Amino acid sequence: MREHIQGAVQFVSNNRLKFDRPAQPIEALPDPGQTFGYVNKEVPQPSPKEVLAKLETPEIKERCADLLSRYPVGQGALLEVLWLVQGVFGWVPREGIRWAAKVCGCAPAHALGVATFYTMYNHAPKGKFLLQFCRNISCTIKGAPALIAHVEKSLNIKTGETTPDGLFTLLQVECLGSCGNGPMMLVNDDFATDVENDQLVMKPGTTLTEESIARILKWCYAHEDNVPKHDVLGGIVKGHGGHPGAPGATAKPQVADYAPPSPVLNVKAEADENGATLTWKGAPEFTKIVVEKKNGSKWDVVGEPGVKDKAFVDAAGKVGDVYRMIATSGERTAKPSNEAVTTQKPAPVEEAK
Amino acid sequence: MSNYYNMPKLPTENSPKVEIFVDDKPVMVPGDTNLLEALKAVGIETPHVCYHPYLPVSGNCRQCLVEQEGPRGRMLVIACYTPVAPGMKIYTPASSARVKNARKATQEFMLVNHPLDCPICDKAGECTLQENYMEAGQNESRMRPEYGKNYHGNPAHQFIDAKGQLRGGKHVDLGPRVLLDEERCVQCDRCVRFMRSIAGSEQLQLAGRADHTYITTFPGEKLDHEYDLCVTDVCPVGAMTAKYFRFQKRVWLLSHTPTISMDDSLGANIWLDHADGRIYRVMPRCNPEVNRSWLSNTSRLAFQQFDKNRLPAMGFRVIQEVISETKSVGGKVALVAGGACTIEDLAALRMLKDSLGDSAELFGGTFKKVGAPDGIAMSGDPMANRMGFKLMGVPDDNLADLVKRAGEFKVLVTVNADLFGEDAAAASALEKIPSRIALSAFNDATAAKATLAFGIRHWSEIQGSMVNSLNILQKLNACPVCPDEKLRPAYEVLSELAGAKFGCASEAFRQAGAYAPALSGLTYDSIKSTGNLLEGGNA
Amino acid sequence: MAECVKVCTQNFGKGAQDIEVYKKLGGYANISERLFNMSQFELIDYVQRSNLRGRGGAGFPTGMKWSFVPRNSGKPVYIVVNADEGEGGTFKDHFLMLEDPHRLIEGLIIAAWALGSRAAYIYCRGEFLPCIESINKALNQAYAAGYLGENIMGTKFCFDIFVHRGAGAYICGEETALINSLEGQKGQPRLKPPFPAVSGAWKSPTCVNNVETIMALPWILQHDPSEYAKMGTPRAGGTKVFCISGDVKNPGVYEAPLGTPMMTMINEYAGGVVGGKLKAVLPGGSSCAPLTAEEAAVATMDYECLASMKTMFGSGAMIVINDTHNMVDLLNCLGNFYSHESCGQCTPCREGTGLLHRMLNLIVEGKGHDGDVELMQSLCGGFGGVTICPLSISLGGPVSSYTAKFRADFDEYIAKNPDHAKPRVQETYRPGIFW
Repeated sequence: MREHIQGAVQFVSNNRLKFDRPAQPIEALPDPGQTFGYVNKEVPQPSPKEVLAKLETPEIKERCADLLSRYPVGQGALLEVLWLVQGVFGWVPREGIRWAAKVCGCAPAHALGVATFYTMYNHAPKGKFLLQFCRNISCTIKGAPALIAHVEKSLNIKTGETTPDGLFTLLQVECLGSCGNGPMMLVNDDFATDVENDQLVMKPGTTLTEESIARILKWCYAHEDNVPKHDVLGGIVKGHGGHPGAPGATAKPQVADYAPPSPVLNVKAEADENGATLTWKGAPEFTKIVVEKKNGSKWDVVGEPGVKDKAFVDAAGKVGDVYRMIATSGERTAKPSNEAVTTQKPAPVEEAK
Repeated sequence: MSNYYNMPKLPTENSPKVEIFVDDKPVMVPGDTNLLEALKAVGIETPHVCYHPYLPVSGNCRQCLVEQEGPRGRMLVIACYTPVAPGMKIYTPASSARVKNARKATQEFMLVNHPLDCPICDKAGECTLQENYMEAGQNESRMRPEYGKNYHGNPAHQFIDAKGQLRGGKHVDLGPRVLLDEERCVQCDRCVRFMRSIAGSEQLQLAGRADHTYITTFPGEKLDHEYDLCVTDVCPVGAMTAKYFRFQKRVWLLSHTPTISMDDSLGANIWLDHADGRIYRVMPRCNPEVNRSWLSNTSRLAFQQFDKNRLPAMGFRVIQEVISETKSVGGKVALVAGGACTIEDLAALRMLKDSLGDSAELFGGTFKKVGAPDGIAMSGDPMANRMGFKLMGVPDDNLADLVKRAGEFKVLVTVNADLFGEDAAAASALEKIPSRIALSAFNDATAAKATLAFGIRHWSEIQGSMVNSLNILQKLNACPVCPDEKLRPAYEVLSELAGAKFGCASEAFRQAGAYAPALSGLTYDSIKSTGNLLEGGNA
Repeated sequence: MAECVKVCTQNFGKGAQDIEVYKKLGGYANISERLFNMSQFELIDYVQRSNLRGRGGAGFPTGMKWSFVPRNSGKPVYIVVNADEGEGGTFKDHFLMLEDPHRLIEGLIIAAWALGSRAAYIYCRGEFLPCIESINKALNQAYAAGYLGENIMGTKFCFDIFVHRGAGAYICGEETALINSLEGQKGQPRLKPPFPAVSGAWKSPTCVNNVETIMALPWILQHDPSEYAKMGTPRAGGTKVFCISGDVKNPGVYEAPLGTPMMTMINEYAGGVVGGKLKAVLPGGSSCAPLTAEEAAVATMDYECLASMKTMFGSGAMIVINDTHNMVDLLNCLGNFYSHESCGQCTPCREGTGLLHRMLNLIVEGKGHDGDVELMQSLCGGFGGVTICPLSISLGGPVSSYTAKFRADFDEYIAKNPDHAKPRVQETYRPGIFW
């Protein structure tokens, strides 16, 4: 028994030696917050009271009602309501997530899953100016890594960090969808390659350079006290009636007969010794099709093929006869199809050997 | 996550059989189900992690791949989401190297970030990953330590361990009953689907995305639900563990007794996992008609009291004497049966009543409130064998009558009925009865009030049968954990009092057939492990 | 460079964000009696004859997609515009929405007429707030002018458009993930079938179309469908908005007919390669296999030619790479991107992209080993066709093709590790001593 225990101790210490690695300081932990929305430290959260006081305003209530009226199920508005929360705080505090879940009628845990899945929701306060640099392939080709290193140096922070004055937060993000102007960055919600007339601009053919970044940072310092803000949902659209059936919506469902009934399309007639064979392209909503043949100035009904049929044969048909087809769906009759002049059916081609 | 409303269709006995070709051999399989179940029906096991027959299909583990012949050639498909179609051609690893390699590759990916802490993991021995590895993987690691593992877990939980490795998410307290080990999680999302679709309370969610995904409750909230321990059952790995069973026993040392939980009239099918003469845990036993794979916490954790506060075994002659004395002076005897009485107990009770003639009267029922079924694994009725009472002609709800007429009786015999414990105020009238005899497993309130209290075996320790609320006859098996071998089942004691001792449950069950015509055609041994549906049932 | 008919980009730089300007340029001419006298079936047939294929990347024929939508199912039909443009190198939708939002609205009204849709959602990625502002402004004008809302232009037809702002997930560009995101869930692709055309958003028939597809409709309806069809190749009609980025003189958005030679695009439209000689071209966004300079010389920009060269047309986003770049650096970018954007559902993608990313990172840091490349290739073999959506292949494909075509770049990096030849140490355990 004694040897047994000693053996085990030996085994453990052997393994220790084998796997021993130099102790890593805690500060060196890779911070997933660099790339993901969340951070590796517990973020001080505002109290529920504070959060609700800021969120339950008449203005936001109105926005929420507008959003909820757009979706058949309240949960559809979850992403947009979370955006409203982010618009108020600049990030989404936990109580804000819980509030959004309540507004949309889903479980708080579900809203948490959604809020952490999408990377644009911030889970910790950010600086007044959120600088997001694209590091995807096109921007890398055009020198994004060097530019990011330059910005890190000039702001004296690393990616994922906020400057001590709380002015800038630097992030590296995936493709910003402006590869033609790469390297590209977002300043809060604005694509920016330069400053023009005291405004951030992205013009075709321009890219970020060290000089233009200096101009942009200068612009940021100038607007430090009055950060230009966009509406998080890009403004309010007036005039829509919402989704039929949603709370607060006035819209009525689409009526079935808003469009004229479908005619038969592409009628073709070919005759051989067995009569004329008609083929056509049918719409799915037919309930009845009538085939008519021209007789002087009148049209004679010659048959009524089934709606699922692919072809119809008029035994008396011959080359030169003119046919048309009229489809009916329910009580509505469509306009007549094209007038098909019967042609001679080509003789079947002998199969090549 | 995917299409969360897609519950798998399971084969039944009446499923139409269709012919499909597995590895070019024709086989007949159930036609109205998915491929995984169909292959299982013909004995071909397909390794899987995320698929669970009673949870919506999420199809995310990609372990159950098979090859299917399609219009564009052979394609890899997941067996759990592919419906069976007549004439389809399927290739399993038995004939297809591509399937074998694909399963092996998935296995390799699944183990990339999984800690190999099986020696200290409670799931080891019944872990799906281990089983799949033996079946589909068995590959040698190709990784270098430099490639590193990605940290699985909540960023707030990470730390650097003594070996300098980035770790975290160990023993995270999810709630009063469940602990989470984030490192072991394979993101199959079974627990999320269980809580959302079965329990109906979305308390768990996968937060984050990609390989940073981790299971969590809403911060500050606890996982707390009547069925929350089921997440430890559905968890294919050791990520979710039950606090009561952590580090208690290696699972391969446990023996399993199939039986029925007698604290609810649905009669959930359970396994009693025992070793060293004690029960270590209770696991749900799959029965598609009754409790599927679920078990409530109440039923699951009840075992902790089974060996506590027991009444000792005693000789029964004194009861005989009391009853015959009472009979001789013309006094009446009230025989009260509690909800945990099995069919066999009731048969013996009726024999006793018959032997006493008019001087005895049968009562049954409970003072507890009858609730509503929750649609998962509880019917809400604490009278477990209520349908059995009806079948055996024993009153199942006349305690009020007994209380009213308490003065008429000289002797009260309670069998498995804790009347004073259930409602002391209502039962206080029974104290008027001069001789109170309690036959009970536990030294409960009724035993305390009794003039004579005799220990009998608990339902977990006896053979027997019960009829559940769906009218399914189910079999109880004896788990060898009885604290005292001298304790005897109630039916033995009662039949002895009646003058005809039943030696075993099958004898008592044969006697029950004499009282209940529905049981007369059956024998005890013919009861199936999933129960027999009796006529008039509505399962 | 032959002057080509502009289908989608004709109003660029003309201030068409304003409805008056847009109308003066011929906008909303389709919302007239001609459309109102068309039946749904005629309109779908019309689009089918134009040979328009989806411009999002998969290139599925649009008319055929519409014809799959069941009629009279009793459920509403949704049109969802996929404006979640996230593929590296693609930026056409950004500028299309920014410059000409009314064309999108007009196209949507036409699509809604064909499908009987009551509500359409424009799912715009969260980063494109300026685009959302532009569209919302246009929507307000269109509502005021009566092109949207109840009983449009006196017909019985009612139609509303809503903009849904996404929040940063590349995978939402996959149509079922986009629908999940629209429903307020995580953007994770769904198992198929059912396909969205039958059971999509809120279990109703749903048509997901790219921005460019919808914006081609007004032009097609104004002209004869055959006129559109004959501009492209026999199997795919029309023009395409190409995005050219990377090492070219004038990167940007260019509209050209399908089938234009690749070198014409690079040299004539984009002004040629700068900074060095041409090394490689990614013809259809970051997830496709690269073409070497020799292959690029003979390639034409259409679905069939690029498929035959074992790469893909995708969204027509050309990324031009000159010979000053090491392909490992660029592949590392992709590893970073795709491992970050994996939705975390399927095991091979969730774990595999992360592993490849870590391995690529090590190689770039000069810690690669001999055999790493073979291991990566072998791991990518585990991706093929086994996941719900093709995101894993979007990384697996490039890893396989970059390592096959530019092996020297990898060897150059691996040689930087002094221990690169050191074999893998098999850590042996001694089981049996504890138990």
